[in-house]
Amino acid sequence: MPEIILKNITKRFGGSFTAVDNLSLTIEDGDFITLLGPSGCGKTTTLRQIAGLETPTCGEIYIDGKLMFSSTQQIDVSPSKRGVGFLFQNYALWPHMTVYQNIAFGLENMKWDKNAVARRVKELLVLLKIEEFPDRYPAELSGGQQQRVAIARTLANNPRVLLMDEPLSNLDAKLRMEMRTELKRLHHETGATFIYVTHDQLEAMTLATKICLLDKGLLQQYAPPLEVYSKPANTFVADFVGNPTINLIPFAVEGVDVSGLKLENVDFSFSFVPSRPLCDFTSKKVVVGIRPEDIVANDVEGLPVTVGSSLPSGMETILKLDVSPSLSLNSVVFGSLDYKIGSKLKAKFPGSKFILFDEKGCFVTTGSINAEQK
Amino acid sequence: MIKEIMHVLYRMKSFLRKPYNIILCFMLLFLGYLTLVPMVTMIFDTFTVHPAEAMRLKRPVGSFTAMHWVKVLFDPSSLSVFYKPLLNSLITSLGACLIALVLGGVFAWLVTRTNIRWKKTLSSFFIFPYIMPSWTLALAWYNVFKNSVVGGVPGTFTALTGLQTPNWFAYGAFPIALVTGIHYSPFAYIMIGGILRNMDANLEEAAMMLNTNRNRIMRKITIPMVLPAILSTFLLVFSSAMSSFAVPAFLGLPVRYQVLTTQLYRTLNGLNPGQGYCMAMIMILLGVSILAFNQRLTGTRKNYTTVTGKSSNISFINLKKMRTVISILMFLLIFFVSILPLFSFALESVLLLPGNYSAGNLTLQFWIGSAEQNSIANSEPGLLLNPALWKALFNSLKLSAICAITAGSLGFLCGYAIVRGRGTKLAVVVDNLAFFPYLMPSMAFGAIYLSMFSTRHGVLPSLYGSFFLLALIGTVKYMPFASRSGINSMLQLSNQIEEAGEILGVGWWKRMIRLIVPIQKTSFISGYLLPFISCMRELSLFVLLVTPANRVLTTLLFYYNEKGWSQYSNGINLMIVLIVLLINGVVNKATGASIDKGIGG
Repeated sequence: MPEIILKNITKRFGGSFTAVDNLSLTIEDGDFITLLGPSGCGKTTTLRQIAGLETPTCGEIYIDGKLMFSSTQQIDVSPSKRGVGFLFQNYALWPHMTVYQNIAFGLENMKWDKNAVARRVKELLVLLKIEEFPDRYPAELSGGQQQRVAIARTLANNPRVLLMDEPLSNLDAKLRMEMRTELKRLHHETGATFIYVTHDQLEAMTLATKICLLDKGLLQQYAPPLEVYSKPANTFVADFVGNPTINLIPFAVEGVDVSGLKLENVDFSFSFVPSRPLCDFTSKKVVVGIRPEDIVANDVEGLPVTVGSSLPSGMETILKLDVSPSLSLNSVVFGSLDYKIGSKLKAKFPGSKFILFDEKGCFVTTGSINAEQK
Repeated sequence: MIKEIMHVLYRMKSFLRKPYNIILCFMLLFLGYLTLVPMVTMIFDTFTVHPAEAMRLKRPVGSFTAMHWVKVLFDPSSLSVFYKPLLNSLITSLGACLIALVLGGVFAWLVTRTNIRWKKTLSSFFIFPYIMPSWTLALAWYNVFKNSVVGGVPGTFTALTGLQTPNWFAYGAFPIALVTGIHYSPFAYIMIGGILRNMDANLEEAAMMLNTNRNRIMRKITIPMVLPAILSTFLLVFSSAMSSFAVPAFLGLPVRYQVLTTQLYRTLNGLNPGQGYCMAMIMILLGVSILAFNQRLTGTRKNYTTVTGKSSNISFINLKKMRTVISILMFLLIFFVSILPLFSFALESVLLLPGNYSAGNLTLQFWIGSAEQNSIANSEPGLLLNPALWKALFNSLKLSAICAITAGSLGFLCGYAIVRGRGTKLAVVVDNLAFFPYLMPSMAFGAIYLSMFSTRHGVLPSLYGSFFLLALIGTVKYMPFASRSGINSMLQLSNQIEEAGEILGVGWWKRMIRLIVPIQKTSFISGYLLPFISCMRELSLFVLLVTPANRVLTTLLFYYNEKGWSQYSNGINLMIVLIVLLINGVVNKATGASIDKGIGG
């Protein structure tokens, strides 16, 4: 199975708008990569460039050691010769062909023997659990079944790389969950390299071996999901990943000593104890990121807060805790609990997963904090 | 240096690797040569001395002169040559627009928003006048209401009642506007009805929930919602009416009521082609500006003209006691404009002496009589035995089939390439070029081709009088129908459908044949049907270009009508109407495509 290398890929539309900006990426053999980012960040363009459906303005693309695209050497291998499969957002099933014909079309086009085609289609129908429907037309299938047919069609000629463009976004929540499990199984069974575009951070977290997070055409972070979550490269990544959203609180640096940083703003004074020694740390302003689950709210002891809103979902309850008129914190309490709006609680900040960003919003280190209200 | 050349070559190679770019380039050359070059040729022609004028002006043929423009615009004779016909054109077109909008709009509202009876039947017969050639109703009007004041025999109405119809009622502005308006009212119905049908009923229901009364909902919600469609219909009907030739020719000429098109025909057929081209230029300018205005209008308003939603459970307005009365009134109206004309043609074609409707005066000799029997009509044999008719019928069918195949196929390819290349300058240029012939009044377009191809032109020999020229002009003129329907349907088809094939290594040709065409079957066939039927019933486009050797049905009809042999012209008209209705019906049944689903003129 191949490795995919993008070197300095840039794509401009109409001369002015830059969809992808100098992107370099190495995708290891057998990886399951998600390209994640808000809409318009260039993730679909990146995917389509790998497939050859879109031509980069400059840069190089290698698949399995072979140069597929190079703006300087003027090489542009056509999509069908890149050995990739592409799964489209709207499935792109051919409405005038049955399920069987849809899956078989590509194979027949490659002049496969008739029996071999029949055998391969049968295999795929079983693999994707749609063996009852070979004679149906796409319009006669449910969304989930159509999705399976689209996957079967894409897998038919054993592509070494499978590219997927938000394939689950048209399915309802329950089906989406089911198909995620299915995709992980397929990744395991086929051993192919998967590249998957999504704007849904939960999907990216749960599926990927590595997340590639883009914003405005620029690579923000390329790391395994849990690392993206716990050590976000910058405040944008921290804010984009995780639900409910991370609390990002700006502070002024009042002093640095052996025990850590003295931080202050109108509501709080913090002392931040970094997990590694900070040498020559000069930022005067910082941002501290606090994940909602790292706040413990009860009525025992800690910072006095007021419940601003309470959204119980059974397994957990999402709270908005007002510290002052200008600051409220997202937090999560596990268990079936509900709170009246306006009730008084106490918040504590245990653990050492708090994240320190410098004045440019870039990741510095993690650490623990002691908070006191003014 | 070599590196730069290599780079350019590479750019070209990757540009031409996309099939749509090749199509776009081809279309640019093809349409550029057949639309822009003729335009320029004609503009030059308006400034040069023509052979017929050389003697009088004592200037060599081809030298520069501004005389044509002066004669048309700034001469004492301009009033009758140009300004009067222009005014008449404006008056009749405006009248036609109002009639079409009122008739079509009211009918659309009745069908979509009230509980009127026989909706299905009524609406399928209502569009009849639109499918039939535009002059059909004119000829019927003429048959029924002509008087003996301007000479000739009286019509059916006078024969039955003994009352003489006044001239203003029988000929000129009033019947031209009325007949053109009725012809285009189905178009208004299709446009406005389409919006009313697709308009989300929730919008009206939301107002109802706020305790708004029906009247206010109508004024404040419904009409503003359909206003863009109304304006758009208005402009399209206006420009079509401006360029219509047959109706004013039938109803205006008996009293010398000239409009721009009939005046253009006179000038071009006479000794002043230069002046004719000036007028054609002005007509094109008018047509282009009206439609450009329309495109701006629909472009900016599009946001709310295309509101669609489920309007399944809209509550119909109960017409109560008026229900049956209104239904019967509508039925009668439709009967008069859709069915009665056909009887009128049949009747007129079997009268021995026109104007005498007694049983003893009926004869089939104009259908099946031999040449000797028909001494009245210059010894023309009856229609069914007449070789000229069979030749014309054959020519018509051949021409329509060729135009349909070429215009349909090229138009579809054009639509495909324009949508695929969307966003590029080339696609925008081709898009406009392909639509350009639609903006040109048929008569003016014919005039351009007459001007350009009457002499040797580059590699092409003189084409005047050849069948090829008719096929060429038909192809270019009807391409907008096919390219529009191609563009609209390709826009609804996601790119991904084709890319899914591309990734599997399916070649372009096979992608078209196996994927795109089968999926777009209906609009693909519409793309052939529209040009075919339009061509079958086309008069003004061909009337300047045909010669006796390649006459088609419509020009033969026109020829008989000019000669005053009404039995023949009525008989041919009946045949054309029946052929058009039959073909539309058969294709509609077989494929779901129908002429009334597309644009048309």
